[in-house]
Amino acid sequence: MIRALLLAVASLLAVTPIAHADSMIMGRVAMKAELVLEYVKSSVEEHGYTVAHLQLCDGGMTDFGYKTDFYRVVFFGKVDEVRMITADYPELVTYLPLKIAVIAEKDETLLTVLNPEALAPFFDDERIQIQLGRWQSDLISIFDDVRRSIAARAAGAS
Amino acid sequence: MLRRSKGDYRVNEMNGIRTKYFLACLFALLSGLAVAAPDGQGLYVEHCAACHQMEGEGGIGLPLIREKLEDMSDSYLFNTIRLGRPGRVMPAYQRMSDAQVKAIIGFLRRQSGTTGRDYDSSPVDGDAERGAVVYEEHCVRCHEADGSGAGEGTGVTLSRDRTFLVMPASISNPGFLASVSDQMMRHVVIKGRKSSGMPSFGDEKLNDQEINDVVAYVRSFAEKVSPPESLDGDERPTHVFQSPYSFEQTVKNVKAALTGANFRIFPDRFVEQGLVDEFSVNTRQVGIRFCNFNVLYGMLKIEPRLGVVLPCRITILEREGGEVMLVVPNLRVVSRWFNNDELVTLWDRMETTFNDIIDEVTL
Repeated sequence: MIRALLLAVASLLAVTPIAHADSMIMGRVAMKAELVLEYVKSSVEEHGYTVAHLQLCDGGMTDFGYKTDFYRVVFFGKVDEVRMITADYPELVTYLPLKIAVIAEKDETLLTVLNPEALAPFFDDERIQIQLGRWQSDLISIFDDVRRSIAARAAGAS
Repeated sequence: MLRRSKGDYRVNEMNGIRTKYFLACLFALLSGLAVAAPDGQGLYVEHCAACHQMEGEGGIGLPLIREKLEDMSDSYLFNTIRLGRPGRVMPAYQRMSDAQVKAIIGFLRRQSGTTGRDYDSSPVDGDAERGAVVYEEHCVRCHEADGSGAGEGTGVTLSRDRTFLVMPASISNPGFLASVSDQMMRHVVIKGRKSSGMPSFGDEKLNDQEINDVVAYVRSFAEKVSPPESLDGDERPTHVFQSPYSFEQTVKNVKAALTGANFRIFPDRFVEQGLVDEFSVNTRQVGIRFCNFNVLYGMLKIEPRLGVVLPCRITILEREGGEVMLVVPNLRVVSRWFNNDELVTLWDRMETTFNDIIDEVTL
C-alpha cells in the first residue's frame, strides 16, 4: 500500500507545472541596475560559476554617439562544463559562457537570460538534457537569490 | 504453527506506528498540495512583473492599471495569460494550472480594486466591409491598417523613446482576438481609454451600428494575419562549417569578411578566457565578436532583451587532428525564442548576410 501511495505522490508531483518553461527567464528587481549587477555577480559565484567578463553594451553604443541606459551582460561559466561542450557538443559553444543581461529601467532593473532549456528539443541524449536542465535550475536559483537578497536589504533599511 | 515472541509483537507494533506516522505525513503533504491556494502575488512577481512592472505600470508589456482592468473580464485575462500574444513578446503560459492563472487574476483584481466586467458572449451584428470605412477614418492612425499597433510595438522599455506614452495594442494578434469578446470590444470603443489617449467613440461620435461594424472589421483581422515563416523541421540552433584553411588563416578570413560587411570587430576572446588562468586557456578556440552599432541600436528598440545573445560571434575551434570548425548562431532559430515577430523578420534577413560571410570565409 505504501508503495502505491508513494507512486501516487510521485505522479502528483510530476504534473505540478514547471515554472519558466519559456525560452526566456526574466526577473525584475526594485533597485538601481549598478547595485543589482553586484548582487548578480555575487550570486553567480555562490553557485560555483566563475564570472568570465562583463560586457558594456551601453559603453559601445555611447562611443558611437547613442544616448542609452545602463546595460551590462555578465558572462559566466564552469571551465569543465565548457570543455565538455566544446569536445562533445561543439554546436552549443555559441551559447557559452552563459550570460545574464542587466538592463536599467529607471530605478528598477530587468534581469533576463536565455533559458538553456530552449535548446533541449534539438538534442536526444540524456547527458546534454541533464546539463541543460541543471543550467536552467541554477539560473532560476540565481534570480531568486538576487530577488531575496535585495528584498532583505530593503526590509533592513526600512 | 508459527509462534510469535514478544519481540516480534514489539517489531510489529513499531512497524504499525511507523506506517501510521508515514500515512499521517503523507496525508499532510497531499492535503497541503490539494488545499494550499496558489500565491497570486508571488506568481505575478515571478512571471509578470518583469514586463508589466511591480504595480502594473507597464514597461515591455502593456500597463495593467485600474482603468484597463475594470474593462477586462476575468475570462479575457484568463485567455490572455493562457494564449499569450504570439509574436508580440508575451508568452503563452500553458503549463500553469487553472488555479495558478486564477490566482494571478485574483491578485490583479485585489491590487487594482476592480471586479472585472461580465460581457454577454453574443457576437455583434456588424458588417466588416462598412466597418473598414469606419476603421480607416477613426482607428488606423494608432492601430495601423493591419491592426498591429503603431510604431515599434511591444518590446520597448520605458527607458527608451516611445512614439506613444502607451503603445497601442495589436488588435489583430491571434491571442487578442481569441481572448476578447465582441461585447468587450464594443465597450472599449464606446468608453475609450484615457490613460492611453484612445478617445471615446460613444456620445454620438459613432452610432451603435457603426460600432458593431468596426468590431466586425477588427474580428476579420483573424483571417488576414499571416504568421512569420515557420522553421524547417531540421533546423539546428547553430550552423557548423568545416574550414578548408588552417586555424590562423580561418581567423584572418573571418575578420576580413566581417570588415567587408561593415561590422566592427572587437578584440578576440578565447572560449575559456576568464574561466581559467591565462596559461591554461585553450588558444585554439576563439570567438570573433562583432557588431554594427547602427543595426544594433535599431534592434534594441524593438527587442531590449537582445543582450542575452550579444555580441554577435563566430566561434572557430581547432579539433584534434587539426580540423578547423566554424560555429555560427542560426539567427532564424534564435530570433523565434524572443516571441517577437519584428525581430524574426529582421533576423531572417540578417541570416542571409551571415551566410554570405561564411561562404566568403570557406570558399
